Amino acid sequence: MNDMAKPPRSRAAKWTRRGFIGAGALAGGALIVGVAVRPGNPVGKLGPIVAGGEGEQLVNSWVKIGADNVVTAIVPHCEMGQGAHSVLAQMLADELDADWSLVRVMQAPADGNYVVTDTARGFVAPGTLDAPDWLEPTWNGLFTKISQLGDVMITGGSSSIRTTGQRTMRIAGAAARQMLIAAAAREWGVAAAEIVTANSTLSHQASGKSAPYAQFAAAAAEEDMPQTPALKAPKDYRLMGTDAPRTDIPEKVTGAAQFGIDATVPGQKLTYAAVRKVPVPGTRIASMKADVAKTMPGVLQILNMGDFLAVVADSYWQAQQALNTVEAEYTRSESAIRSTADQFAAFAAALDQAGDQGGKELVGKGDVAGALSVSAKTFTAEYRAPYLAHAPLEPMNATVWVRDGKCEIWTSTQVPLMARSAAAKAIGLSADDVTMHQPTLGGGFGRRLESDYVVMAARIGLATGYPVKMIWSREEDTQKGLFRCADLSRFTGGIDAKGRLVAWNNVFTQHNDPAEACDAPFYDVPHKSIRVAEAELHLPFAAFRSVDHSQQAFFVECFIDEAAHAAGRDPVEFRLAMLGNSPRHKAVLEKVAAMSGWGTKPAAGRGRGVALVQSFGTIVAEVVEVDMSQGKPRLTQVWCAADPGFAMNPDGFRNQMEGGIVFGLTAALHGEITLKDGAVEQGNFNDYPMLRIDECPPIAVEIINADPVHLGGAGEPGLPPIAPALANAIFAASGKRIRELPIAKHFA
Amino acid sequence: MMHRFALVAIGALALAACGSKVEPPVEQIVLREPGQPAGAAPAAATDLVAAGKAAFAVCATCHAVEAGKASGIGPNLNGVVGRKAGALADFGYSAALKQSGLTWTETELDAFIANPSGKVPGTSMAAGAVSDAERRKAIVAYLASLTP
Amino acid sequence: MVKFTINGEAKSVEADPAMPILWAVREQLGLNGTKFGCGAALCGACTVHLDGQPVRSCSTPIGEAEGRAITTIEGIAGPEGELTKVQQAWISEQVPQCGYCQSGQIMAATALLRDNPRPSDADIDAAMAGNICRCGTYVRIRHAIKVAAGIEPARAAPGAAPLSGGAKA
Repeated sequence: MNDMAKPPRSRAAKWTRRGFIGAGALAGGALIVGVAVRPGNPVGKLGPIVAGGEGEQLVNSWVKIGADNVVTAIVPHCEMGQGAHSVLAQMLADELDADWSLVRVMQAPADGNYVVTDTARGFVAPGTLDAPDWLEPTWNGLFTKISQLGDVMITGGSSSIRTTGQRTMRIAGAAARQMLIAAAAREWGVAAAEIVTANSTLSHQASGKSAPYAQFAAAAAEEDMPQTPALKAPKDYRLMGTDAPRTDIPEKVTGAAQFGIDATVPGQKLTYAAVRKVPVPGTRIASMKADVAKTMPGVLQILNMGDFLAVVADSYWQAQQALNTVEAEYTRSESAIRSTADQFAAFAAALDQAGDQGGKELVGKGDVAGALSVSAKTFTAEYRAPYLAHAPLEPMNATVWVRDGKCEIWTSTQVPLMARSAAAKAIGLSADDVTMHQPTLGGGFGRRLESDYVVMAARIGLATGYPVKMIWSREEDTQKGLFRCADLSRFTGGIDAKGRLVAWNNVFTQHNDPAEACDAPFYDVPHKSIRVAEAELHLPFAAFRSVDHSQQAFFVECFIDEAAHAAGRDPVEFRLAMLGNSPRHKAVLEKVAAMSGWGTKPAAGRGRGVALVQSFGTIVAEVVEVDMSQGKPRLTQVWCAADPGFAMNPDGFRNQMEGGIVFGLTAALHGEITLKDGAVEQGNFNDYPMLRIDECPPIAVEIINADPVHLGGAGEPGLPPIAPALANAIFAASGKRIRELPIAKHFA
Repeated sequence: MMHRFALVAIGALALAACGSKVEPPVEQIVLREPGQPAGAAPAAATDLVAAGKAAFAVCATCHAVEAGKASGIGPNLNGVVGRKAGALADFGYSAALKQSGLTWTETELDAFIANPSGKVPGTSMAAGAVSDAERRKAIVAYLASLTP
Repeated sequence: MVKFTINGEAKSVEADPAMPILWAVREQLGLNGTKFGCGAALCGACTVHLDGQPVRSCSTPIGEAEGRAITTIEGIAGPEGELTKVQQAWISEQVPQCGYCQSGQIMAATALLRDNPRPSDADIDAAMAGNICRCGTYVRIRHAIKVAAGIEPARAAPGAAPLSGGAKA
């Protein structure tokens, strides 16, 4: 494998590359214990940073209580629509016995004290999560240090609830509750065990004493902090597992929510930058001609930054209008890949070279070649997935003010500390001299795990010295960012005389995260070889919602469907027969089959397709019904059954399944980024279309809570099954087998 | 397991230790400081075509006007006056526009720009209505001036 | 100088009349609820009302607003901040995810329900198809419009989920 084959990966990608498998990561059945509060209790140091309001008392790193008895959870993950802010607060509030109507959420500052230790542990070393209590301080301290060195304040991998929620927030809430009780017991002269808590109130029945939490908040902060407080058993949950309404929604219906693009710099008048990056990755600006732009109204500066152009003006409109007139020439790209055909030829060449056995084996089991040679029936299939742009509706943007050796940044990011370090490095400051402000995100989907746009804004800000808000146009956002990789995947399947899938031979070219996304180990298949034969990518890679699952699920679950048809068996029955050792997967598949009336005959012209995927610790099965009577697919209904172990907020979980399905349908039906002369061809939503409401089918979601200890994620797992379920439905309805995405182009 | 932690920690340290490399602008053209007066605003164009060109700025996001340039979000409007509606091969028109039977005279263009979806219900032109008759007249004059 | 009323207040801005309403409203009037998504009338995030009609403010010049009335998301609630039925339904049905498109969605839905108080699914699809939600909240948008119209009931108060067997959709 040559070194060129692997493009450089961002720091965030290094951390998210192990989207760990939640189920099985913790000791079975055990209650969660641990010290995520932070060794010692740094409230003295943190108080001024996060609890500066009048009457506010920080009890430990993650919770403060106001004089008005408002409990504020300090959440170290970003809010990008996944609902993590609210649900993490819900988990802390439950352990604290807080009154939900008096709970607020605060975004934790981009500060080393707020690294997501438990997320890092989950990604890197899930085995340490069931360490004995006495070892917890050691692991916790070590991972906090590692996380601080690595700037690990990150939101991704559908991990917030199952890592930070299950450990940091719950433990912080439980510890705070015990500290409040201890303080009250001391003041009232009663036994701590006799004090009960509910609705943010402490009470002692025998003495009739009662007090709101606020009364003891300051004293509680002085108490010893329990390192391994007992957590509630599921039967005692009051908020966890309920549809507690999200705290961030009211401001999102009044226009008050502050997104990155809404940033203001107190006391300063903003200027605005429009930017144009080089069209082909890796090239440079050879020359710039800006004669017209110089004469245009509102223009303050015109910058050739080497790898991008910028116009700074009094208004973004003026900046963009002026930029449109700037002409540039670019250096030639060294990439041999100029077109989409070139890219897929590179994939095909790598796969040709790998053949039936070559490449790096990722999963090997039994004797595939032998099993294929004696199979009653064999079949082959080649699947193709295109490049995709993330297209969050809030285009990339950042507001910066560089002055006097300091820098302030306002931006929507999934990685505030990494963005801070990257910006600092780009403008020659130390990270400590850069202050990050973290507004809410107008979508992330993995795009905002990258800091490229923050660095660009910082460089512009260094050049101007005054506050600048840089905004990418939609066209820049579609063409010049980082992308879900394209890929090609080849399969050979072998069916035995009893109609069972006995051999699974597969090779593809792109292997990123999670490492296990290419496999479906819950299916009992005796002989298996899954290999990667790496091939160069022309466009830079960024994790895309569900990452490798976003294409691998299409490959694998279409292959399984083709196997079922090759065996002459019903696709659900065929899968169930392979799930003898996977009762949870079986239950999910049976649930979706029942929901969708799988055994009944669909109306004329219609067909149903199914797919079953485990990703990010959650098992999801989806059935699509499609109407092909008009010659092209119209979705009539989607059914989704999901087992996340335990849904902390079932309505929020359903919302994520619905969103993942719609996001996946956009990719399945329409999503395709193509190359011409080395550059991306698409620009805006006219040629890179999104699913709209008139194409969106009704979606029914049911949740199975099969294991309250080993939780799975919510943000990504809804997506992977939808593309294969749809392709399989189209086959059922029309006999047309889709092996290449997007689907719409087969029916244009 | 420990091996992996060590790698991660070393990787993080190595990143932190990387020296800064500030890449200054290759070219920086400073025209004015913020807050300084922008100079006299260009006098409003008295010439109808020039006024039309200025008013067309918002339309230019979607419509190219240079001869031979590919259509974008909307069709290229070079030579639109006198053209049959829905005539360009490189643009995916709405069925409504294609079947409208219109030929773009200056009068028809004026009526369309005044209320696109009123004139051609089902058009995919979702924005761009110009209510001011003078501005419409100028835009149409500008479009009429664009010939290959 | 362009003069208009915005959310009931008389205002004027010094701006090139060709500048889109979006940027005049955001940058000069500080009303940031109206969002930039595509700049080409393709996504609907910038939807405002001009004399009551929904328009794409990213592609409508501020000159068009001369002497007319602009309403933005900040201006639809009642004088004491009472939320409209549409806004209330958006909360009760927990519609938004990231929320970036929702100002535009609410402005489009508000205009729909004013003109068509009992819309069918097809009416909703036709009126709302210009508004993209990248997070994929369409199922809830459709339902919330019906809740606001009184066609479907608002959801019941939150309740606890069973520990096993599944919560009902």
